[in-house]
Amino acid sequence: WRTCNNTFLWHRPSCGRHPTGGSFVRPNKVNFGVDFLTAIKKRYVLEDGPEEDGKEQIVTIGNKPVETIGFDSIIKQQSQLSKLQEISLRNCAVSCAGDKGGIAKACPNIRNVDVSRNLLSSWDEVIDIADQLTHLEVLNLSENKLRFPSDSLSSTGRFTTLKVLVLSRTGITWAEVLQCAAGWPVLEELYLESNSISISERPIDILQTLKLLDLSSNRLIDENQLFLIAYLPRLEQLILSDIGISSLHFPDSGIGCKSSMFPSLQYLVLNDNRISQWSFINELDKLPSLQALSCLRNPLTEGSGAETARQFIIARIGQLQTLNKCKILPEERRGAELDYRKAFGNAWKKAGGHQDPAQNRPNEEFLAAHPRYQSLCLKYGAPEDGELKIQQPFLLKNQLLTLKIKYPNKLDEKVIEKQLPDSMTIQKVKGLLSRLLKIPVSDLLLSYESPKMPGREIELENDQQSLQFYSVENGDCLLVRW
Amino acid sequence: MRECLSIHVGQAGVQIGDACWELYCLEHGIQPDGAVLDSKKDRLENAKMVPMAASFNTFFCESRAGKHVPRAFFMDLEPTVIDGIRTGKYRSLFHPEQLVSGKEDAANSYARGHYSVGSEIIDLVLERIRKLAEPCNGLQGFLIFRSFGGGTGSGFTSLLMEQLSIHYGRKTKLEFCVYPAPRISTAVVEPYNSVLTTHATLEHSDCTFMVDNEALYDICHHQLGIERPSYTSINGLVGQAVSSITASLRFEGPLNVDLIEFQTNLVPYPRIHFPMTAFAPIVSADKAYHKTFSVSDITTACFEFSNQLVKCDPRLGQYMACCLLYRGDVVPKDVNAAIAAMKSRHSIQFVDWCPTGFKVGINNHPPTMMPGGHLAKVQRAVCMLSNTTAVVEAWARLDHKFDLMYAKKAFLHWYIREGMEEGEFLEAREDLAALERDYEEVGQSLRYDGKNEY
Repeated sequence: WRTCNNTFLWHRPSCGRHPTGGSFVRPNKVNFGVDFLTAIKKRYVLEDGPEEDGKEQIVTIGNKPVETIGFDSIIKQQSQLSKLQEISLRNCAVSCAGDKGGIAKACPNIRNVDVSRNLLSSWDEVIDIADQLTHLEVLNLSENKLRFPSDSLSSTGRFTTLKVLVLSRTGITWAEVLQCAAGWPVLEELYLESNSISISERPIDILQTLKLLDLSSNRLIDENQLFLIAYLPRLEQLILSDIGISSLHFPDSGIGCKSSMFPSLQYLVLNDNRISQWSFINELDKLPSLQALSCLRNPLTEGSGAETARQFIIARIGQLQTLNKCKILPEERRGAELDYRKAFGNAWKKAGGHQDPAQNRPNEEFLAAHPRYQSLCLKYGAPEDGELKIQQPFLLKNQLLTLKIKYPNKLDEKVIEKQLPDSMTIQKVKGLLSRLLKIPVSDLLLSYESPKMPGREIELENDQQSLQFYSVENGDCLLVRW
Repeated sequence: MRECLSIHVGQAGVQIGDACWELYCLEHGIQPDGAVLDSKKDRLENAKMVPMAASFNTFFCESRAGKHVPRAFFMDLEPTVIDGIRTGKYRSLFHPEQLVSGKEDAANSYARGHYSVGSEIIDLVLERIRKLAEPCNGLQGFLIFRSFGGGTGSGFTSLLMEQLSIHYGRKTKLEFCVYPAPRISTAVVEPYNSVLTTHATLEHSDCTFMVDNEALYDICHHQLGIERPSYTSINGLVGQAVSSITASLRFEGPLNVDLIEFQTNLVPYPRIHFPMTAFAPIVSADKAYHKTFSVSDITTACFEFSNQLVKCDPRLGQYMACCLLYRGDVVPKDVNAAIAAMKSRHSIQFVDWCPTGFKVGINNHPPTMMPGGHLAKVQRAVCMLSNTTAVVEAWARLDHKFDLMYAKKAFLHWYIREGMEEGEFLEAREDLAALERDYEEVGQSLRYDGKNEY
């Protein structure tokens, strides 16, 4: 915004369609903002202005009156500013702390402040406010365009009780975070969503108490930058949604070993990224404390692979207990690991795998692609050949035996060929032949011979059994006598 | 002292109870062993918004040892689920007599729950409830938690409700019922159980809050990023809804302060007592602080399908009554603005014969979330209870499923062999058809042309 003498006042990132465009604003329309305490009073105290004269305007909805119950007593309670603990001043045009000590006097018990989307423009103002709130635990500064101290000598304030800090959408840089972090000695949760952050250096002696870090929607972050925050000793939750990451490789550990990075990380969120390789998932198995993972809406887990994706993620990360907020029960893990072992059994054999441990030497490539495979074989045994046979689809035609039928007593009868299902009982075969030959079933005696066993004839004596029971195979010959 | 007794029946009732009481304990600063967290009490003293004695005595009974015992009773016809409470985190919170389990379950059969198996345990249950009710100075009434579809939830509850009406006459009975959804149910006969129990309980219940498993499943899946919602995740949500609805019974608040007020504010006719619940905001813990929800935002959200706990379309019906209960950091100014905005944006149609309209209240106690749960902590929340004729959709769906099975007499023998008669099925179905007609009738406007009144 520019006034008519071309002085810049303040620039809100959400305004302005064109980067170099501006508009003219009448000076009296520009909001210079209010101080913190005034904003609190405006919001929580009943003012005696014309619009707040205590008489509530009767609003009607659908021709019925809206009855607000007990608002007077609410207003009375909230006016006792000294009792306020959790307040929100979002969008209240707060621009500064106001008179020194004013806040401390009026509302010393505040623990939780949402002062997002205001007009705070410098970190110094924030310090001025926070210095007066000795019990401050939660501070939300999102959507304030803050200017941070340019050198490390200027005071960054001491937020001695601050546990949760939200600096999303403030444009803060990583360097600025580290600079101010000295003033957050007990900080447990730090939210830095949507700041175009690039992690440029390792935090040393700062942020060591951090348990949760939210770096969602900072699309400049890549895997190498993550290594710079890999040694925060207490970091338990890391939220990396929508950062555009697609690859990950922990350089400090080999295949199947645990990394020393992210030693305390229990819950990792990787939703809405560009993960398309299983090697990424394999790497997560290296995290020593990982218990829970959320990995929704990635190319790897969408589309045709979606069904088996959950199974394979479970199988590839051995210590995972919760995936996409669903607990992995022991039966599910067992099923997933067995399926995974079976699915890659043929590849394992081709790569040099063998049921005999002395001959089991799968190549490097296979081991790199399937780091847990060997340990799964130890757990469940190596996959049997029978398991690995590619199942023929269960079509009836795959179950039919092509058999010759000979009549040794009636040599003038033609030898015929028939296709019969291997599950057909002898009784039914006799019935078929009976209709064919016009001979009663009870007169028929059946046996068979096989080119695999020349000279031998096997009697099919039990009517209740099937052809399969007698191991009749394709190409064998039934012998019918009466 | 206006005590409320919570009764949890069957697997659904008991597991929802588990979630609720855990949440209540967090909200009131009560430890798993029943002791009040001292620093929290001091904090409550310091920040006391309203001068009063701890209002949670409506829900908790303080023993001489200073232990706070829930005014609750849990029962199931088989032991597994109750054993979960007996061995769970809050096992020291409850007295053993508050947890009753049978040996043989109801096998998803209303008949077993109501007649054969249920009838054997009803006397013991009533005796235990009497023991809980006796020390109360001014028992307001009962909150009953159960499912429609299960055998115990449907059958035993209707038996219990009949008996409670006999022994406790005019005491209010509020229900929290789980309406069945095909996606997470395993019993095909849920429509039978639901229709039978609704018919049997209709005259004994004063107000029934339904939660639809289908709606809850969708919320968990789409909004909370839970891939395959389990009963645990769903019960967490239900716990939040119940906490919002009972907040002003447990904390001093101006609206819906007692069970009678719920009836007065929401139920115009005895049978038309099924308000729809919606609440906002519903934010995944992974997206904490990504968005801030103003009073205006959460008010608007209550009118979105995705925030409703029962699947129906209020735009197709008419409102008879509506309560908006705000919790947390909410100022009257913002509420007034939100309501004014709502008026212009939403076409909310009220029936013309009903004098009550919208009631709005604020409870400054902030919404509490389970640590490590799926929901993000928020500064303010709102729960909307609306008695709308559109809820008849839920009954229509259930009746349709009932009809499909009953036409073929499918699965009927499971009920007949426990001593039920087909006549009871017909009677129940008739009653539900009448309920559908009742809803239709109240939705029609009164036409007075000077000669006849319709």
